[in-house]
Amino acid sequence: MNKKYNISKYLAYLFLITVCLIWVVPMIFGFTTSFRSQGEVVNEGFRLLPVNWIVDNYMAILENTSSAPILRWIGNSLFISITHTLLVVVVISITGYGYSRMRFKGRDVLFFTLLGISFFPNVVNIIPLYRIVDILGWVNTPWAMIVPGLAGMGNIFLVRQFMKGVPKELDESARVDGASDFTIFFRIVLPLIKPVLIVGGLFSFIGSWNDFLWPVIVYTDVQKMPVTAGLLLLQDIYGNYQMVGQLMGSAILAIIPTLLLFLFAQKYFVSAINLNAGIKG
Amino acid sequence: MDKSKFSHWFFIGPHIILFVVFILIPSIYGVYASFTNWNLMTSPTWVGLDNYRTILTNQDSSFHHEFFNGMKNTLIFVGVSVPLMVAIPLVIASAIEHKKVKFKNFFQSIIYIPGLISISAAALIWSLIFNSQLGMMNNFFGADTVWTATQPYAWMTIFIMTVWGGIGGNMIIYRASISNVSQDLYESAEIDGAGPIRKFISVTLPSIRFPLIYTVVMTTAGSFNVFGQPLMMTNGGPRESTTVLMMYIRDLAFGSGQSIAGMASAMAVLLGMVILIISAAQYYVMNRNSA
Repeated sequence: MNKKYNISKYLAYLFLITVCLIWVVPMIFGFTTSFRSQGEVVNEGFRLLPVNWIVDNYMAILENTSSAPILRWIGNSLFISITHTLLVVVVISITGYGYSRMRFKGRDVLFFTLLGISFFPNVVNIIPLYRIVDILGWVNTPWAMIVPGLAGMGNIFLVRQFMKGVPKELDESARVDGASDFTIFFRIVLPLIKPVLIVGGLFSFIGSWNDFLWPVIVYTDVQKMPVTAGLLLLQDIYGNYQMVGQLMGSAILAIIPTLLLFLFAQKYFVSAINLNAGIKG
Repeated sequence: MDKSKFSHWFFIGPHIILFVVFILIPSIYGVYASFTNWNLMTSPTWVGLDNYRTILTNQDSSFHHEFFNGMKNTLIFVGVSVPLMVAIPLVIASAIEHKKVKFKNFFQSIIYIPGLISISAAALIWSLIFNSQLGMMNNFFGADTVWTATQPYAWMTIFIMTVWGGIGGNMIIYRASISNVSQDLYESAEIDGAGPIRKFISVTLPSIRFPLIYTVVMTTAGSFNVFGQPLMMTNGGPRESTTVLMMYIRDLAFGSGQSIAGMASAMAVLLGMVILIISAAQYYVMNRNSA
């Protein structure tokens, strides 16, 4: 019995280690290549580690602030993602409270109608959405990426579900004591739903940081675009692999912010994904 | 009591405005625009079913060719990537959840991290890996394949990158579901003489059917919107064999030259209908078979 478990244990380890190697090698390759000179990349062929570590590529990347201002792009992305995330948390908490705690006629019908409409494939609304954003004067501004995503229903659904688990006795006794909805919301409910707000916030941050199709459509100004759209331009700017190190260095710089977020908030990510899929972790 | 009669609008009102402006109106307008001639800027002119007729039946039209080629390539992507994006994380999750395996969270993190990398950053790295002269693949295997410009290699680069960056979420869901399966079920299966594969098929899979249905439906719906990987890895080539429908829709509506947003909207509506029908069919079939 034990022996059988041991064989399968080693098989599982072998498999997992192989998969993990395949998974990390591209990242390491991108990272180390960003420290190699073009001459070395061309002449030495594939090496996981550089012969000579150089930082020239990064110096060149940072100096190019006109056609590929990578720091500016990352700054744009940070502003967009942080602002979007904060607004998402505000919107989903007050709206979630409204749909789970306020009593008014047709509340659940309204909620599920909106939820149903939101399942409509978003490929259909993307062209008119561009027109609306254009009318609002938001093309080539951060608001094009910050505001439209606030209309989504997914996170509000999560908050509503989560609030159902918060005992109603708490707010009812406060209500008896004469507390208004605003007091109940800020003093009682908000502190209790913090976990689900962190989940909604994390997903919103990663989602807007990594969004690709929409920024490619709404940003044409090189100085205003977020980093995902900027990187699309790089293959041309750094001359179709004439400047491999700079290409890799830019990709690595773009990866760092979300990677740091993951390292600090790892446990929230796992519970976030499972909460989204309706699984108790 | 009177005061609270209207205060619910304070809580749900702002979001309703956002919803109407950024979801409801654009969705309705997207369907409306598909029946019009529209250049995105001036007001659209009604043309009835003309766009649909051109796309679906006019064999001389480039729109007809683009739609069917784009739909075919999108379906190839969905048909190959969805099974991979379900099966591979399922096997990895099972291995991680093996009773005696340690460092579970470490393995999970490594697999999950590429999902945090944006498509454009990942594509830059993968393009270099598959670059025919400088790339790791050809150097490593001593080959001289021009990966992104010959089939089936062009598709392979897209699938490899997609699986690498896209299975983390599903894997975490499967892991949590598998660890929630009652040990009693496995023990009684063992008493009946079931081996590991038998146990996986008759105990694990039925026990996690709801997360399975959820991930299959969500992964499929997401895969239909594929855009970034072919755009950056192959630019739709060779000879438009990896140009997916989203790429044509974007070019028609937002490409250089006159915008053909009405035609693009008709293609978008057709794609949307395919997504809805397939999602509904999947949900129906899987739910019925597992009940």
